[in-house]
Amino acid sequence: MIKVRNLSKHYGDLVVLKDINADIQKGEIISIIGPSGTGKSTFLRCLNLLETPTGGKIFIEDVPLLDKKTNVPKLRQKMGMVFQSFNLYSHLSILENLTIGPIKLLGKSKAEANKKAVELVKLVGLAEKVYSFPDELSGGQKQRVAIARCMAMEPEILLFDEPTSALDPTMVSEVLAVIRRLAKEGITMVIVTHEMEFARNISSRVFYMDEGLIYEEGPPQQIFENPQKGKTKTFIHRIRSLRYHITSRYNDLYAIQAGMEAFCEKHTISKVIIGYVLLATEEVLCLQSDYSDINLNLSYFEKTGSLELICESAGPPVNPLEEGVLDDDIGLRLIKARCESVDYKYEDHKNILTLKIKEE
Amino acid sequence: MKRYLQLFVLCIILLLNGCADNEEGIAGLSMLKGEKTITVVKLSAVDDIKDKRIGIFSGTVHDAFITRTYPKAKAFMYDNTSDMVLSLKTGKIDAAMLESITANIILRHNPDLGLLSDDVFTMPLGVGFRKDTPALRDEFNNFLKEIRQDGVYDEMSKRWFVDDAEKAVMPPFKNPVSDKKLVVAVSVEDLPYVAAMNGDYVGFDIEMIKRFAERANYNLEIITVDFSALIAALVSGKVDIITDGIAISEERAKQIDFSDAYANFKTAVIVTKKNLASYDGVGITPVKTSFLKSVSNSFYSNIILEKRYLLIIDGLKITVIISILAAIIGTLIGGLICFMRMSKRKVLSVAAGLFINLIRGTPVLVLLMIIFYVIFASTNINPVIVAVIAFGINFGAYVSEMFRTSIQSVDKGQAEAGIATGFTKVQTFVHIIMPQALRHVLPVYKGEFISLLKMTSIVGYIAVQDLTKASDIIRSRTFDAFFPLIMAAVLYIIIAWLLTWALSCLEISVDPKRKHIKKEVEVSL
Repeated sequence: MIKVRNLSKHYGDLVVLKDINADIQKGEIISIIGPSGTGKSTFLRCLNLLETPTGGKIFIEDVPLLDKKTNVPKLRQKMGMVFQSFNLYSHLSILENLTIGPIKLLGKSKAEANKKAVELVKLVGLAEKVYSFPDELSGGQKQRVAIARCMAMEPEILLFDEPTSALDPTMVSEVLAVIRRLAKEGITMVIVTHEMEFARNISSRVFYMDEGLIYEEGPPQQIFENPQKGKTKTFIHRIRSLRYHITSRYNDLYAIQAGMEAFCEKHTISKVIIGYVLLATEEVLCLQSDYSDINLNLSYFEKTGSLELICESAGPPVNPLEEGVLDDDIGLRLIKARCESVDYKYEDHKNILTLKIKEE
Repeated sequence: MKRYLQLFVLCIILLLNGCADNEEGIAGLSMLKGEKTITVVKLSAVDDIKDKRIGIFSGTVHDAFITRTYPKAKAFMYDNTSDMVLSLKTGKIDAAMLESITANIILRHNPDLGLLSDDVFTMPLGVGFRKDTPALRDEFNNFLKEIRQDGVYDEMSKRWFVDDAEKAVMPPFKNPVSDKKLVVAVSVEDLPYVAAMNGDYVGFDIEMIKRFAERANYNLEIITVDFSALIAALVSGKVDIITDGIAISEERAKQIDFSDAYANFKTAVIVTKKNLASYDGVGITPVKTSFLKSVSNSFYSNIILEKRYLLIIDGLKITVIISILAAIIGTLIGGLICFMRMSKRKVLSVAAGLFINLIRGTPVLVLLMIIFYVIFASTNINPVIVAVIAFGINFGAYVSEMFRTSIQSVDKGQAEAGIATGFTKVQTFVHIIMPQALRHVLPVYKGEFISLLKMTSIVGYIAVQDLTKASDIIRSRTFDAFFPLIMAAVLYIIIAWLLTWALSCLEISVDPKRKHIKKEVEVSL
């Protein structure tokens, strides 16, 4: 249904989309997720030429969208778009918002268009608002009308550009409920969203976009439960991390500890746990034998609230967890008392020690 | 607050006072302003005005005469008799210099004025022709000889110069149906040469020109131009002949040709009786009349007498026609300029920007004169059309920027929604952007339209008789300063109000919420 090949978009020197390739089949529901500023909306807006791509090809049902001979307005009639800011026609009543397109573009009679419009406003639960004006509606109501307006054109494809981002939390669910309902009708949908749970439930496939690319794609189970690539993981688990690189034995431990304390405080971690982290850091460094190249990484998982400290050091494999390796086990005992688990592995010529800090 | 109220009441009283009794009212006003009439020595001979303030018509031979004869005197230029007389009465000038027959008529209407001299100097009067039409001039000179021989001239001379010109009756005139067209410009200064009475031109010059047209078989058209613009109108080719008691002077002869003299022009000097030595101060006590009585008197003399309402109705029509047509043309021009200005093509947007700056930087009067006297110089175009074009261009330049800002004030998302639905750019503009922009623009557009309506009051400069010009002509006959002016103001307010009301109806029709919504579909809940 939608085929995208080598799509790129530049604004002057700024590269927003590098090289996008995608195939979307009829009836699929695609969610596009990813951090802000990675070109998700731009990609969506390229699909109906609200933004003109710099290079590449787009085919809608095998019609080349960028060909000069293509009747783009005609194609757009089959592709509805729901905007973040609703964009209801402010000079028209809700009913007129729904009927202007069918009457002027599809050549429907007024009676026919009105009948369909009333059906649709009922479907989105706003039957009593048909004669209201957009500025008399709440955000959630506006967005439901905007969806109904797209449906009035009987589209084959629906593009959603962050449909819930401008809504306050109490109104998000009503809009998502409407989208869920439409998803059952077999319309091809492409949804740019930050609602992870929603994307996970509704999608047939998920695109994770980063660095101007579709960085990783797959069924929702894979993307949300077992992402393959690092950036995807970081995004999915909403991981915040702090990293230090140590090159000598005489490093400034106090500076590192102060930095970690600040990081933890930023994420509102309790004093007790901060104490655990600082002590664990000190003891882990004491366990090391080679100080020429140590990476210290403290990660905070927003979703679960857990903290992880990873220490990677170069040099021959030394497992401090094995008995008899250390002179005494006081340091290790101190660490273990403050961690849920402590694991060791040797990878890429590096000793990797992973500490999961205890939670309260 | 209280002080403002007092001030307001004072203004009202002064205004009413002015209406009730011109002379006293004005004297009161000028006293308030602290102006003192200098009356140390009373005037007894013409030479006494040598160092005084003297009122003259602009573009007449009097200017040169004063500069030459009384270098110490200060000349004040006027464009019509009524303003000059009013200035004399209010003490803004000490003496007025004008044609002696006109002066006598003025004296009859104004018992407080007196004659200092009725024969300061004499100049021959001639009809003006362009230098490249000697054949027409010769034809006219032959006509003059003819009427002097067959006695018609004497008859005319008696009617206008000897008998009371105000009671004169024009002989019947049948405008010849002819291919040969003769356009004559007059400035309707006053009797005996040219005046407007009963909705038509009368006077010696008019009769003479009409007789000439009849004898020589010309289809005659008479238009009105300010006296000072007569020569310009002739030289630029707008008209074929100018006449209105024009003295044959050397300066004028450099630019235009004159016919043989058809009459002599005697210059009189009039002053207020208070300043006149030969007058001992009896009989200037004005008769006190009640306010209502004086208003009804003014109404009669300014509107009913000599069918002056015809002038007002015609002027009103012209004002409304010019305003509405200029607004329509201006709106079209404005739309085009706005489209060019918002175009992505640099050439178009720069050209539009240049046009806007050029037109907005030019006073509309100058623009009007340029279009009339320069651009359409050699074509015989109806000045009303010129006025419509000039005001249309001016209006267009202003409203184009209003259109642009109102279009830009419509949220970008509205256009995106339209485009995304499948509307073309034009459809999006028509169905979505324009209805919303209209709502933003109409309130300011209304204001601009009213200012256009008022701006049209300058069309008198290019020989169009609009409402203002009509009130000027009435003033030149009745010497009533207040009534015609206030009447014109009231009429302007009424038209402005009516036209604004019409626009307000339009405004309501584009406001979806004030518009009555037809509930076509019954929604069963």
